[in-house]
Formats: sequence, C-alpha cells, structure tokens
Amino acid sequence: MGTIELVATRYRPEQDVQPWEQRYTVPCSEDMSLLDALNYIKDELDPSLSHRWSCRMAICGSCGVMVNGEPKLSCKTFLRDYREAGVVQVRALDNLPVERDLVADISGVVEHIEAVKPWLIRHSTAPVDTAHTQTPEQMARYHAFSQCINCALCYAACPQFGRNPAFLGPAALTLAQRYNLDSRDEGSSERMPWLNAEEGVWSCTFVGYCSEVCPKDVDPASAINRGKVASDINYGVNLFRLLRGKSDA
Amino acid sequence: MRKPWQPQQPRDWWLHNPAYRRYMLREATALPLMLYTLLLLAGIFQFSRGEVAFAAWLSWMQTPAALLLQGIALAAALLHAVTWVALVPKILVIDSDRLRIDPRQVLRAHQLGALAGNLGLVVATLWLLWPAGGA
Amino acid sequence: MRRSHEPISWSLFGAGGMLLAFIGPGLIVSTLLLAWLVQDPQALHATLSSGLQHPLARLAALAVIALPLYHTAHRLYHGLHDLHITGPTWLLGGFFYGGATALSALCALWLFSL
Repeated sequence: MGTIELVATRYRPEQDVQPWEQRYTVPCSEDMSLLDALNYIKDELDPSLSHRWSCRMAICGSCGVMVNGEPKLSCKTFLRDYREAGVVQVRALDNLPVERDLVADISGVVEHIEAVKPWLIRHSTAPVDTAHTQTPEQMARYHAFSQCINCALCYAACPQFGRNPAFLGPAALTLAQRYNLDSRDEGSSERMPWLNAEEGVWSCTFVGYCSEVCPKDVDPASAINRGKVASDINYGVNLFRLLRGKSDA
Repeated sequence: MRKPWQPQQPRDWWLHNPAYRRYMLREATALPLMLYTLLLLAGIFQFSRGEVAFAAWLSWMQTPAALLLQGIALAAALLHAVTWVALVPKILVIDSDRLRIDPRQVLRAHQLGALAGNLGLVVATLWLLWPAGGA
Repeated sequence: MRRSHEPISWSLFGAGGMLLAFIGPGLIVSTLLLAWLVQDPQALHATLSSGLQHPLARLAALAVIALPLYHTAHRLYHGLHDLHITGPTWLLGGFFYGGATALSALCALWLFSL
C-alpha cells in the first residue's frame, strides 16, 4: 500500500480571513475512497479538519467536494484514479458559501429547490377510492429526473449559478420538470412562473457540465432545456391570451 | 458565530476547466459566423446594385483577408453543426401519450438532415456554376 | 417572479442555430466555390436574378441572413455576460438584437427592391 498527497483547502471562520491550503500524506490502496482518506485525516492526523458525510454509498448527497477542480461525491471517488496525478486537491464545492474547511453551505440551493414546489399537486384534496395509476411509459418520462439526491454538485458545476446566485439552478429546475412531467401531477401552472422567469430556465446557456458531473445521471441540462421549450410555448400561449384581451397569466 | 467565506466567480472562470473551455469555444463560433453573415449581407447589397458591383464583391471574396475569414468561419460552422446536432435530442424530446419518438431517432434524423442540407447546397452550387460559369 | 421575454430571442436563436447546422458549412463552401470558380459574373448575376424573382426565394435569402444574425447576436450577448463584461441591458440588448433587426430590415429592403 503506497501513499498519496492530499491538499485540502482549509477555512476556519474563527481565525482565518481567507482559505488556505494544507498538505497531508494519506495511505492509498486500491479500495480507498476519498471519503476514507478524509476520515483517515480526521481520525489519525488532524481532528480539526471538517467535512460532511453520512451514507458512504452515493445516496445521501452529503459529501460533495471539488476534487482536482471537479465536483464529486468523495465517497464515489477513488484514490487509485489519482495515482498518476500524484496529488488530490480537495476544496469545498464551488459557487457556494464555505461554512468551514470542506463544508459548503447548500441552504440557498435547498431554498431554490423548495421554491418550485417539488411534490405532487392535486386540485382535489378529497381522498380517491382508486390509486392514481400510471403506465410504465408515463413513469419513464420523469424517472431519470427523480433520481436527484440534492448533493448540489450541479450547482458547483454551473457557471451561471456562480455568476448569479439568484438563478434557480440545475436541481431545482430539474425537479420542476420532474413533477410537471408526472401524469399524476396537476400543479404545472404553479411551477411555470418560476420556469418562465429570468432566474428560471432563461439563465441557463446549456454549458452542460451539470449533466457531466451528476453522480446519479439525472441530466439536468436536458431537463432545463426541455423546460425552455415548455416556457417558450407558455409564452406564445400567453401572448395569444393577451391579444384576445384576456389577463396576463 | 457564523462567518462563511463568500467565493467570487473569477472573470477567467472558463479557463480553468476543459468543459468550460469547450463551452466557450462553442459559443465563440458565433463571432466568425456573424462576420461571415455580414460578408453575405454585403454581397446581397452589391448584388442589388448591379452586375459590376456584384463582380467586385465576388473578386473581393478572393482576397487573403476574406479567404482567411471564410476559412475560420467554415471551421466554426462545422463545430457549430456538430455541437448543435448533438444537443438537439436533449432539447427536442417527443414523448407524450399519443406520440413517442426514440431520442436516437431524433438525433439520427438531424444528423442526416444536416448532412443532406450541407452536401445538397454544395452540389447545387456546382450545378449552378456549370452553365453560368461556362467552364 | 417576472416573466422573461427571452423566449422571443431564444426562438430566433434556435431557428438560426438549426439553419446554420443544416446549411452553414455548405453555404460557406458554396460561396468559396462561387467566388473561386465563377467565369462570368454577369451570367451568374442573371441566373441568380431570375432565381430571386420568386418571392419565396427572396424570403429564403432573407432567412439565411436574418436568422444567423439573431443566432450569433444572442450568443455574443450572453457571451459578454459570461466574460463579466457588463453594461446597461438596454444598451447591450439594443446593440445586439437591435443591430440584428436593423440589418435584417436592410437586407429585406435590398432583396425586395430587386
């Protein structure tokens, strides 16, 4: 078992004015994930290093960090893939406030996600006798978009979110599409104003990097750009309404 | 006490990641394509002014500067065509209860369409040149 | 949430992008060939003139100019934002989209006064 150099960007709000880099030497074996290495540092070398993690199996979405400039889940990233690079540079997710060390504050992202009402909306609240049935084809329409684990890697990958944090961003707009495309949902009219806004789908320029970094193959870039088509049609329909003297929707 | 570090996006953010460089190159195709379109527009203006002006435009299109611009525009147009067609199936998704088309079919249709459109135009131009040019 | 008017420019951008993907490279090769191989520019002018007699042909020629203008203006407008080159929206938007509109209008004028 060899070793590998790990450079972590530290930021301790109590004493630091700005982030700085600290170098560690960690064991590097075939089956060691970056999360294992960070836990090794925390347990054996430097208990002051802060990082977030929980499930170790790419489903909780807690352990996102930048690894050699790319947003990744540390539990799904293996040291063996960095032997050639010789060094693993780790810092908190880009485009987000850094709470401490490798911990990015994703509360803004969570607010964006909540804004688009990512749940099934029904007009009638009365209980139904039969289940809301759905064919496999209808489910396939949104299934990939429902795999999001809110890890915010796509926000770290999105230069438009970095440019303008008011942009709802990849995960929120993907979840809006996920529910708009669900045959059981009746709430798209409540979500369309968010899609239609400047801070909605129209801040996206299809950089496409969000889809490259997504650990669950959600393809947010596709979801957002399909949202543009939906918003485009919505704009035309609304224009037609206005021309006929009806109110702005 | 919380005192989060607020990162600022650097002006040169797009230089630091190959994915961003590819994106900026794709967006940059617009510049030579716009300049080429302006050349074409100048051609239409000269065409409308008559035969002499049109002939002058045609010979001006053979000057080194114009050829260089057209060469760069051609490279840009090819990159644009390839990247554009590749993204179409991610945007144009036909999937409703009534009609569903496999995204691979959408991609294939656009690839064939772009190939046919571009080659057809070149063939049509060569065909046009034969009688008109008297070559 | 205020409704964005981006759908207008995005639709024109999309139409121009599709047109450029379908005929852009071919068009550039064609004009290269035309300027290079043409023996008799007067005859070519006559041939193109008779071709442009039909209003649909003039409309097609206008589309080949106007849509790429809107497409490229849209990309450059957003490109400036990406490069952190900022200015008043009315000025930058007016320059790119207004410029594309003005040049398209000129093109229509020249084509339909043939």
